[in-house]
Amino acid sequence: MVSKRKKKYSTGEGAQFMTRKAALKKLQLSLKDFRRICILKGIYPREPRNRKRAQKGAGGIKTLYHTKDIKFLLHEPIIWKLRELKVFQQKIRKARAMREYGKMRKYFSDYPEINIDHIVKERYPTFVDALRDLDDCLTLCFLFSTFPSLKRVPRDQSLLCRRLTVEFMHAIIAAKALRKVFVSVKGYYYQAEIEGQTITWIVPHHFSFKPQNKDEVDFKIMSTFVEFYIMVLGFVNFKLFHSLNLVYPPKLTAGLNSDAEKDLVDEKAYVAERVAAMNMSIARVAGSNEAEELPDIDVFNTEDNDPEKMEEAKKEAEKIKVLKTMFKGLKFFINREVPREPLVFIIRCFGGEVSWDRDHFVGATFDESDESIAYQIVDRPSMDKQYLSRYYVQPQWVFDSVNARTLLPINKYLMGAVLPPHLSPFIDKTKDQVYMPPEQRALNDPNFKPLDDEPSDEEIEEASDEEKEEQSEQEDGEEALARQYKQEMEQDSPSEDDDDDDQDPDKKKAAKEKKKAMAVTTGVPVKEHPYKKEIEDKQAFRLREKLVPKKHRNLYKSMKAGQEKRKKEIWLLRKKRRLHDEKVSEEKKAVKRKQKMQALEA
Amino acid sequence: MTVKTAKTTATKKRKRVSKKSKASWRKHCDINDVEEFLEDQRLEERLGKFDEKPDEELFIVDTTGGDVDEKPEVKPDLKAKSFKERKRAQLAETPKCFEVLLPTSKVQDPNKKRNTVKQVGSKPSDLSKLTEKRQLSKGVLSRKLEQTKVNRKLAIQKKKKSKTVRQSFDKNIWDAPTLESKGIPETLCNEFVSTEAQLHNVPTTKRIRAKPQLPKTLLTRAAIEVPHPGVSYNPSYQEHQALLSEVVQHEQKMMKRQAHLNRVTTNMFSKVTQGEKEKQWQEEMSVGLPQPHNPSNDPDPEPSDNEYKAVNPPVKNKKKDHKARRKQREQLEEKERLKRAKIEKKKITDLYRLRKIQESLKKQESRQCERSTRLASKREEKAATALPALNKHRPPEKEPEFVDPAILTGDLRNLTNTSNLLRDRFESLQRRGALAASKVMMKKKRKLKSYFKPGHKVTEQDIKKYIQKLDKK
Repeated sequence: MVSKRKKKYSTGEGAQFMTRKAALKKLQLSLKDFRRICILKGIYPREPRNRKRAQKGAGGIKTLYHTKDIKFLLHEPIIWKLRELKVFQQKIRKARAMREYGKMRKYFSDYPEINIDHIVKERYPTFVDALRDLDDCLTLCFLFSTFPSLKRVPRDQSLLCRRLTVEFMHAIIAAKALRKVFVSVKGYYYQAEIEGQTITWIVPHHFSFKPQNKDEVDFKIMSTFVEFYIMVLGFVNFKLFHSLNLVYPPKLTAGLNSDAEKDLVDEKAYVAERVAAMNMSIARVAGSNEAEELPDIDVFNTEDNDPEKMEEAKKEAEKIKVLKTMFKGLKFFINREVPREPLVFIIRCFGGEVSWDRDHFVGATFDESDESIAYQIVDRPSMDKQYLSRYYVQPQWVFDSVNARTLLPINKYLMGAVLPPHLSPFIDKTKDQVYMPPEQRALNDPNFKPLDDEPSDEEIEEASDEEKEEQSEQEDGEEALARQYKQEMEQDSPSEDDDDDDQDPDKKKAAKEKKKAMAVTTGVPVKEHPYKKEIEDKQAFRLREKLVPKKHRNLYKSMKAGQEKRKKEIWLLRKKRRLHDEKVSEEKKAVKRKQKMQALEA
Repeated sequence: MTVKTAKTTATKKRKRVSKKSKASWRKHCDINDVEEFLEDQRLEERLGKFDEKPDEELFIVDTTGGDVDEKPEVKPDLKAKSFKERKRAQLAETPKCFEVLLPTSKVQDPNKKRNTVKQVGSKPSDLSKLTEKRQLSKGVLSRKLEQTKVNRKLAIQKKKKSKTVRQSFDKNIWDAPTLESKGIPETLCNEFVSTEAQLHNVPTTKRIRAKPQLPKTLLTRAAIEVPHPGVSYNPSYQEHQALLSEVVQHEQKMMKRQAHLNRVTTNMFSKVTQGEKEKQWQEEMSVGLPQPHNPSNDPDPEPSDNEYKAVNPPVKNKKKDHKARRKQREQLEEKERLKRAKIEKKKITDLYRLRKIQESLKKQESRQCERSTRLASKREEKAATALPALNKHRPPEKEPEFVDPAILTGDLRNLTNTSNLLRDRFESLQRRGALAASKVMMKKKRKLKSYFKPGHKVTEQDIKKYIQKLDKK
């Protein structure tokens, strides 16, 4: 007998993929339901390697799904729930058409709800998995929290988003997990670190809601995404609060509960409530202490024992430790023209206390007249009434301080000053081998000082050469004085000894002799020759370089060559800059000398 | 003899018989055993299973030994009941006449929910009506009514609360999983049962299917891209310029592409004005028609030698002679010979050129290798950022964000909204392959035609309404 002929596309790529239509047929769902369940379960369309084969010979581009994905969906109990819902929708439609409104209302109240928490667990088997995927979730939730009730978005969604985002911010505040802030035109970029995972999210600037163009975004789809993300964020919040020993549903202000929905119609009032909620301290679990400070990094002997890396990690940990308590014990007062939400969040994240005008917004904790306020944040050129006991700074000082991880000097950020640029903290640190002009370096690193100690301020430069000379003379004089003082001190100390000697020289002599007999010669410490050590280290390094496996040798070589090249480029550019600077200054000097001469002649 | 043997073989049961038709099937198949089994089963169903019956029913403990004298049977003293008593005892029993209707089989009723017949008393009787009246006057009923109202309210509240449970998030779903939650039957949740056995016994409906891995684009691409430092609300000059130059480059690229498309499509076809087109059409259509005589168009009268000359003289087949043919052949042969000689000569010289040839081959190979690696790396690079093709629509490409220097005021107060974050998110999802790119289709509102039904009496109100509707449009 001849074996049965194999049908085309019954194996291989043709069998692996399924068009959307086939999937709908297999799952017995409508397109709407299919879309919803795909988003909830995290099933996405696929791109095949060979489209022609995957589409079973059909042309064009069709939306394809993995057959395995669809089989996975087939086992989802929610599918049955969706079918039940369909029946309900039909009933409601019928009741409406028959004008049996009582019945319709009853159906609405009995409308079954889909519980999707098992899906959250299934998609994120561990907490860390959920944290890793939180970027999108947070951004969308923050975005939806600013939306009014829309046509395609369920009514409770934006309210829930508001509640959950405030809760999440509280968790971040309690954990002191915020690391970076970047204020962009789009919104505020925040980066936090929770359980070793960096989470980045965007919070839009608070503008009044702008109606979206209908043909730009599919609201239904986005709201389905949000439906799932709300669930994730809720459970993440629960876990975060519990790990921080906080009581989970925190009692926040009334505006964030669903009961008070009707009272808060005003958007501004809502925002005020929200900020006030953020400024509240939340209840801790009874009998729990404050989260203890993390101990210092333990050193483990790992195979990749790079002392440089260890050192770097230690430094980083130290910096973060400083950052966490940067604003501790400081009181901030926010003027009313400043956007309060980001500032309250940031300041509270690093231990500061915040308040604002009691007359304008709810939730203020102390008054403007409080003398213990250290900083007042203002965003206007001048103020009528100023307190001497505090600094008046612009909001950017807070953001830049967080990114610099220290309290920056305030002189550039004082009220009315022209601000230095707000730089992005999200720059790839690995690509540091680029030339930076000294101005930019000074911006990035507050500790940076240009090597050539030229007075950079123009005023000083403009000062005449004579003055400079005088200064140098003065300096010389001071130096000479200091030297003299030192010498005198040196002379003084032996003189005292001499006085002692004068008292009885004989005794002294005898003692000396005795001492000599008993003397234990002091051990001479083995002097480590720094130069020698350097040479030894270099040799060891070369030896290690030789041990690079053959497989990676070329890569290593090219890497080294690249580094050298970049170094050389930087060096070249720096040299160019130095020469240019020198030339410019000399020209200036020449011009000045000329002017002086002219003035003398005249 | 032979005849007899033939007969015996004929009567002998054939080994293979056709059971093609129903009749032949019945004839040749022995289904006695099946029927017997079924009969047994039915009997079992009627009388109950033999092995399910308690031992007391099947066995009797034989207490009377053979050697022991039989005790006289103790009979319960039956008192003669009176007629009345007997009748009373019979009251509880089902009447004899109905015994036929009772099921004798032990098979359970497959349809338990039968229509219930309303019992006596479900209809308000005269007596019940009276009591109700009495209760109403006493105020018992009104109290009951209030109670039901309260109960109903409570029930609604309870229902509402159960709905908001979804939003309370009151459990840690990332707890250590219990065995029961994995679908392992309770009886096997024991430390003495090996994990293999436990997992083996998970019912298929509860078995967790491994989730297929996500598409690669979704795993590798960041949800929130690192912002360009130039989009800061107060950027440094260099960074802002870098951003602007990026925007300009992008725009130039787009313009170039547009120009290319124009050149390749629209500009490929020569353009003709309407007048010219008409003229062309007229010319084409009037081919062959007699034209009005135009003396200026006449060809110059050539000096003719009075001989007829055709416009297209006939082709003459002029034959080559023998000599010409021979010459041609010889030339061809000579050419061939020279070619061969050249090849032979080249063979010899190539022997001396071997090293050079090898070198050139090596060079060529290395060049090819280099090219292939370069192309591969380029392809990889492209694939890393390529937009997923999941639909006939292409997801929108990421464009560098343009920040107008005019809106950069340097303070937070005067910031203006330019970008749409929601659209940004939506497109990011599409670019990562979480959504197939699509064009949102707007639903067209169906226009309803309104007209008066013929024969319908049109009132003034109707006309007013109609006019109002027209005005609205």
